[in-house]
Amino acid sequence: MTLPMQTMKEGVYEERPGFPTQYGPDRTDYQPGVPFWPHEAYRDLVIVFVLMAILLFLSAAYTPEVGPAANPAIQPFIVPDWYLLFSWGLLKLADVLPTIVFTDPLGNLINMDAAFWGNMLTFPLVLVPLLLLPFIDRGRETRPAKAPVRTAVGVGFYLGFLFFSSLYATNDRILQSWPFIADDALKWMVIIPPILITFATYVGIRRLGFRDMYWWNVLLIGSAFAVVLLMSLWAFALGPWAADGMSPIDRLGTLGDQNAWPLTVFMVIVILYSAVLFYATAFLKERKAKEVVLAASVITFFAVVIAAKGFADWIFPATFSALKTIALYSNYFIALPLFALVTFYLGTRTPYSTYEYLLNECYQCGKCHTVCPVTKVEDDALGGLNLVYNTFKKQHDGVPLWTCLACDACSAVCPLDIKYSDYILEERSKVGAQGAAADGGRRYGE
Amino acid sequence: MIALDPEYGPARTIPHPVMFRVLDSESDETTVPKVFPVEKGAEWAYYPGCIDYYDQEMQFSHLNYGDTDHGIIFDSSVKLLKAVGIEPVILDRSFMKCCGHDQLWQGKLDVFQKMRDYNTKIIKTLGIKNLVTSCAEGYRTFKLDYRLDGVNVRHVTQVLYERGLRFPPPKDGKAIRVTYQDPCRSCRQMPVDPIYEEPRELIRRVENAELVELKTFRADAQCCGVAQMMYCNDKTKGLTASRMDEAKELDVDYLLTACPKCLTHFGCLHHENRWKPEEERYRYRVIDITHFLAERLEGETVGRAPSVIPQAQDPRAKGRPQGAE
Repeated sequence: MTLPMQTMKEGVYEERPGFPTQYGPDRTDYQPGVPFWPHEAYRDLVIVFVLMAILLFLSAAYTPEVGPAANPAIQPFIVPDWYLLFSWGLLKLADVLPTIVFTDPLGNLINMDAAFWGNMLTFPLVLVPLLLLPFIDRGRETRPAKAPVRTAVGVGFYLGFLFFSSLYATNDRILQSWPFIADDALKWMVIIPPILITFATYVGIRRLGFRDMYWWNVLLIGSAFAVVLLMSLWAFALGPWAADGMSPIDRLGTLGDQNAWPLTVFMVIVILYSAVLFYATAFLKERKAKEVVLAASVITFFAVVIAAKGFADWIFPATFSALKTIALYSNYFIALPLFALVTFYLGTRTPYSTYEYLLNECYQCGKCHTVCPVTKVEDDALGGLNLVYNTFKKQHDGVPLWTCLACDACSAVCPLDIKYSDYILEERSKVGAQGAAADGGRRYGE
Repeated sequence: MIALDPEYGPARTIPHPVMFRVLDSESDETTVPKVFPVEKGAEWAYYPGCIDYYDQEMQFSHLNYGDTDHGIIFDSSVKLLKAVGIEPVILDRSFMKCCGHDQLWQGKLDVFQKMRDYNTKIIKTLGIKNLVTSCAEGYRTFKLDYRLDGVNVRHVTQVLYERGLRFPPPKDGKAIRVTYQDPCRSCRQMPVDPIYEEPRELIRRVENAELVELKTFRADAQCCGVAQMMYCNDKTKGLTASRMDEAKELDVDYLLTACPKCLTHFGCLHHENRWKPEEERYRYRVIDITHFLAERLEGETVGRAPSVIPQAQDPRAKGRPQGAE
């Protein structure tokens, strides 16, 4: 038996031009837009060839002069242009990878050493994913905020990873300028921060879509707290005195020393701050947690400033070794609490503050207007165009704020799943807070 | 009171102002009463909601002379819950307040928040594990807008369906056609646990009942025309009429709903039958689904208002209902 609703759907909407008969990424009837391959690729190849021809002509006709010869007596500071710094940094990093030597079935000796890894890192790791992206990701979503995994990986890898590998390209200059920074610390910064950036971006983008990120927050901030705690113990145990061969147990007895005092204070501040962040995320309600975290951040900032100033100028003016220790592990003690803070705020941001962003997704298909019961009966709504879009634009659409039934028929048909009634709820409560609710907000007896 | 652009301001108002002033004034007194010590938390509790207030308003305020009796929803729900072996604690309005749905959607957020905090305290104090409500709006509000961690909020149809409510064979065996209006609040607006199947399955369990669907149903169901008890006018009444006309075209005997708001406004229009010419009248009964199911059970007939269309057995037998003056 054909239901009336099915008849209406098939008869009214789906046979009309512009209305598809299939839905989802596998639809074959109608593909909006032009695919990248081969149309766009052919056009781009033509442009590339023309540009190459121009360059070859110019280089042949007008050969630029080469400057003076390099002076072999001076050690040059070897560094490529900024846009290739990442590859130089990756080449420098390649020796951390293991050297593998084996014989393949054809009898050739394969030597996967640092040079091999350097080659692999500089070109294939960075550029091949970009080339393959149109073939791997067949989705039609082009807005970064609607594709959280792709965006988070892209931000973490192409911004975080490439930035820190570019930074590592200048490691000799950094170590020369700030001798207390360890080379290993710079190496770890190529690995750890991009991963954290990826997670934080993912949490933030998912939060835009009102997803509950409670367990993500607890996991990420909890692990940040655990790492800070472990690294603090590690720093205490081996500390700035590792060269003297003192055992870690004896080291604990030196906590009251002039050298160890600043270190103790800074470690305690950082550990307490991370612990407060973790506690607030896991055990407090959202609003209360935000207040606690804000207060803790402000207090921590001033505590660190006062402590640094005090130890540098007033109390123990010559305690360089403690600061040196903190600098050695700075990526943990500074970056991890900061990461926890950013994750906390991204993961608990009030969804309503981004509501207009969600309404902005509307592409004016007009389905909501078709099903809206109010537009069927209100005289001034009969010529209306589009419910969600016009309301967002604050244009008159015949369904002003107080006429909406909040029946959610529009959300049920919305291709982008825009919850219009949530918007109505939010707007009405804003007005109601100013004493202008449906009945003026007055109560009995007032 | 700020001056608002009339186009976006409260152009429509609340047609039952006295009732809502009374309901709103409940939030002024938020002292939690001293409940005698609760040693063991209640397993099941039933929250009837504002239906008694609606009842008084509809019966006595001369805004509507209709026959709709909301008290039946309470009686029927308790009878049905007892039939599936549940003796619920009745969360009546002597110590609970209105759930606050209407205040929330009318823009009175402060009133809603006070009611929510008060009710949450009471529910926590009583240690309730399963909160059963017979109202679609109450279901949505307790489930989505409250933060009742650890309390299982259920609609009464869900409980009846899960506990396997069965009906005795009908006495007269006359086939009846039944249709069901999906309330917006318990269906479309529920991202979790929407109630589509449970009422339909319960209707199918009645032997002589044939379930027919309206023109739009489930997630596509058209609104009954009035939400949050605002702006009753010809326009919204037109929506209600179009919905009832759909049921009329289907030639049903019963139009059921699970929301007291739908029941109120269907009942209001149904009442106007009395002044309509013979051929334009609605021939079916408009009742709540709990009322319908409770009538199918054995035992004493629920309902304290015998005026709900007295010829209930065959609505089409006589054109003009008795008691119509």
